[in-house]
Amino acid sequence: MNLSHKMSKSIILTAIIALFAVHISYSQKVVRYHLYVKDTLVNFTGKEKRAIAVNGQIPMPTLTFTEGDTAEIYVHNEMKEKTSLHWHGVFLPNQEDGVPYLTQMPIEPGETYIYRFPIIQHGTHWYHSHSGLQEQLGMYGSMILNKRTNDPTFRKGIDDLPTVPVVLSEWTDYNPHNVERMLHNASDWFAIKKGATQSYGEAIKAGHFKTKVKNEWKRMLAMDVSDVYYDRFLMNGKNQSTLSQFKAGDKVRLRISNGGASTNFWLTYAGGKITVVANDGNDVEPVEVDRLLIAVSETYDVIVSIPGENTAYEFLATPEDRTKSASLYVGSGIKQLISPLPRLKYFEGMKMMNGMMKMNGDLDDMGMNMSLNQMDMNIVMYPEITGSETKDENKNSKMEGMDMESKAGKNEHAEHSGDQYNSNKLSNIVTLNYAMLKSPTETGLPKDAPVKELRFELTGNMNRYVWSLDNKVVSEADKIMIKKGENVRIIMFNNSMMRHPMHLHGHDFRLINGKGEYAPLKNIVDIMPMETDTLEFNANVYGDWFFHCHILYHMMSGMGRVISYEGQPKNPLIKNPRYAQRKLFSDDRHFHVMAENDFATNGNDGMLMIQNTRWSIGSEWRLGYNDMHGYETETHIGRYFGKMQWLMVFAGFDWRYRKEGIDEQEQNVFGQRNTKDDRALASLGFVYKLPMLIDFQTEVFHNGTFRLQLMREDIPVTKRIRMGFMVNSDIEYMVEARYILNRYIGLRTHYDSDMGFGMGISANY
Amino acid sequence: MAASMLLSFQSFSAQVDNSKTSTVKIYGNCGMCESAIEKAGNVKKVAAVEWNKDSKIATLTYDSVKTNQNEILRRIALAGYDSEHFFAPDEAYAKLPACCHYERAKASAHKDEAMASLKADKPEAGMHDHSAMTSQDKNQLKAVYDGYFSLKDALVKSDGSAASVIAKDLLAAINAVKMETLKPEEHTVWMKVKEDVTTDAEHITETKEVSHQRDHFTTLSKNMYQLIKVSKNDAPVYYQHCPMYNDGKGADWLSKESAIKNPYYGSQMLSCGKTVETIK
Repeated sequence: MNLSHKMSKSIILTAIIALFAVHISYSQKVVRYHLYVKDTLVNFTGKEKRAIAVNGQIPMPTLTFTEGDTAEIYVHNEMKEKTSLHWHGVFLPNQEDGVPYLTQMPIEPGETYIYRFPIIQHGTHWYHSHSGLQEQLGMYGSMILNKRTNDPTFRKGIDDLPTVPVVLSEWTDYNPHNVERMLHNASDWFAIKKGATQSYGEAIKAGHFKTKVKNEWKRMLAMDVSDVYYDRFLMNGKNQSTLSQFKAGDKVRLRISNGGASTNFWLTYAGGKITVVANDGNDVEPVEVDRLLIAVSETYDVIVSIPGENTAYEFLATPEDRTKSASLYVGSGIKQLISPLPRLKYFEGMKMMNGMMKMNGDLDDMGMNMSLNQMDMNIVMYPEITGSETKDENKNSKMEGMDMESKAGKNEHAEHSGDQYNSNKLSNIVTLNYAMLKSPTETGLPKDAPVKELRFELTGNMNRYVWSLDNKVVSEADKIMIKKGENVRIIMFNNSMMRHPMHLHGHDFRLINGKGEYAPLKNIVDIMPMETDTLEFNANVYGDWFFHCHILYHMMSGMGRVISYEGQPKNPLIKNPRYAQRKLFSDDRHFHVMAENDFATNGNDGMLMIQNTRWSIGSEWRLGYNDMHGYETETHIGRYFGKMQWLMVFAGFDWRYRKEGIDEQEQNVFGQRNTKDDRALASLGFVYKLPMLIDFQTEVFHNGTFRLQLMREDIPVTKRIRMGFMVNSDIEYMVEARYILNRYIGLRTHYDSDMGFGMGISANY
Repeated sequence: MAASMLLSFQSFSAQVDNSKTSTVKIYGNCGMCESAIEKAGNVKKVAAVEWNKDSKIATLTYDSVKTNQNEILRRIALAGYDSEHFFAPDEAYAKLPACCHYERAKASAHKDEAMASLKADKPEAGMHDHSAMTSQDKNQLKAVYDGYFSLKDALVKSDGSAASVIAKDLLAAINAVKMETLKPEEHTVWMKVKEDVTTDAEHITETKEVSHQRDHFTTLSKNMYQLIKVSKNDAPVYYQHCPMYNDGKGADWLSKESAIKNPYYGSQMLSCGKTVETIK
């Protein structure tokens, strides 16, 4: 009885709302979704792991609206942690944008939160959690905004095709917080898992010893095109799936969103060409390609056709590092596969980077004016474009090196040197780039509006995994203030070694790509190392809008800015702005723990360190088992300087105790006496990373003694063997070798001037 | 005998936990296919494949917790072998050794279209499908030209193994030419160049080393040029020249596109060269 009463009440209520709605707009319809966010266990690899499911599923359910609808989304947080949802690429009032501590306070455990906004655009979009690393755990889903059928831009043959939303993603069995920590600690475990260690041993085998030396001379760690090793790659939550509802002759429109936290995907199709018809939710003139790369958080609408009877054609998504892949078979019947993308030629990539990296860590584009993904330096690593790695190839690539060095034009080939990175000129494979995107309608900005120009240099370094704009992270920079009505132009230069998909909230921008008035509208621009891209938009909606790199671990390390409007009304959802700001900044301020201990026959060697963007607090110890071997600890509190963070200045404290040690040394090389047997000294000093990644440490103690030290750890000898050495002006030295057994355990042997020879098991966290 | 077979079967299945067995047809020809199929399918302690080259039936034994039949068949298809559930990528099939080029079940229309990545948009003239050759009487040299252009494309990519495979097809096309049906002027040139062309194609087949292949490609291109000049072509062909090759002696090649894609250097100096003649 009670129930029906309630129901009738709600029906009346809806009727009233509906009536009201009809008054303001003829077609306005409220479309309501309920999302129940819950902790769950998943099994992608044979092991049960924690994930987050919404309405019991990963990815989150596809939300579908039609332009003109009003979206009303109820988020029921049934987890024990806070959450939020961001509507990626959607135009909406700032309070609905879903960035916790910026546009709203986070959704507390147990709370039901309502997002409500009118749908004023169409296109393929997606949504995801903007809280912490929840996106990596499954909080991503498609959001499809349909065109009205009477829309003047409705395209027959495109907008009336059957569509399938596809969200790409990746899965790791590691806890994402651990992934983040490992990245900041420059762990090479992911490289070992991927077979991308690029050690000296492998370099010699491949005939690239000099390349490796030069790479370390320029203070680079072995790099990959992506940072994280993933266990599985997924399309709509599955590694393999089939769209068996389609048959020969059908055309299918796939609405693809890249919901991966840090993976760019290559898309290829076994049934012929791929026709790209929209990007980031905006229509583009159809363009036929053999393949395209979808950067993290981009969306592409593509049309594929089914050429043969009783055949399902493989639509293949391959992560940029080409370790694995995910397949969607379009059609029913026997599955026609497409050739997988061959393994990357890592040492060719290393050589290319050596050529581009200046000694000071800046990149040198050699005057090639790169932009819009047209020239892809990575193609030197792609066997399908530049040939497979054979002896013959090595010979030729030496010539390439010569060719590049003589770029002044000594021979008639040099003038073409820019083309050697143009994938489409080098092969018959047509690869999409941004210069090929053209809007079907004019996208020009208001002509008479004042122009505000902003320039950013994308910066960062791999050694400490700090990513920034102009060498400032979110918490170190002020908001960028713009005025409503002005045209904002952003010019970005990527001076870092990784590509960055830069995403702007709440606005679409025109990407200046040579198509004039028909420049495509986007909300993400993937910008490769050394590229410069220009984008512009009309500032037309008040709010605090996040502008950031969409690689989750780059964003969390602070690669972003807040763009804000002058004179805008206060956000009523942020009751305590100072508190909210502190919480927002805590993402990139937070400290990562790193620890190591070697349980050896001659004592314990170890260290414990906590670090964030600029600061490092660390303690090292060498603890013998008896007084003769002695005990010592060194503690340093330091700050890193410069964008490459090669310099750290520190204050330290040394304590050691020993009796009748094996190493009689009581004087250092400067003739200063130094009390090894019992000392407690405070110090000031600095560490500077020299070429070959050697740490040069200078320290002066409060009693006036000096100490200089050279140290190199983790020299990659083979895939799993690392060596290291240390020598200092107290005439102490150490050499070590380590074999990595797994993520946390290794076997270590070392010789130490204080404690002699030792072997043991080293544990690291 | 029976006992030892039983024994071997037991020891074999004991390697795989949660073992499940199924049989499935996999296309192939010979002993070489057998080892390739089994190698592609096997995963230590997870999957074991036994293929019989007479019946074409494979017995799959696998850990049903860790894998499934489709995963195994997918790997085998990626190695070039069709089955009842998967078609191999055409490139993988093309790379199989000649004795393994089994007859494919899928319609030949697919073959052509998949080879399109190697070739321009011209219709395929029976590169792998020699039966199609007879219908090509009108311009039977076309198969030879197409073989040549495919070879050139492979050299542009510096792909020695593909070039070797394609040269084999070129050789087949050369041998299939019925001299008596050629036009008189074609006939004259054909008599002159046939032997040299055959030798060059043979040499390119026999090696996977691109530098050696390019060596033979210089003379092959010269002879092809003479031949194509007297042939009727439905599209223009460009005679192109690279001044650098062979220590500055230079070399020529033919292309269906005016844009320069240098087969002698590949990506190292892809756009080196110029068109010296357009043959219509």
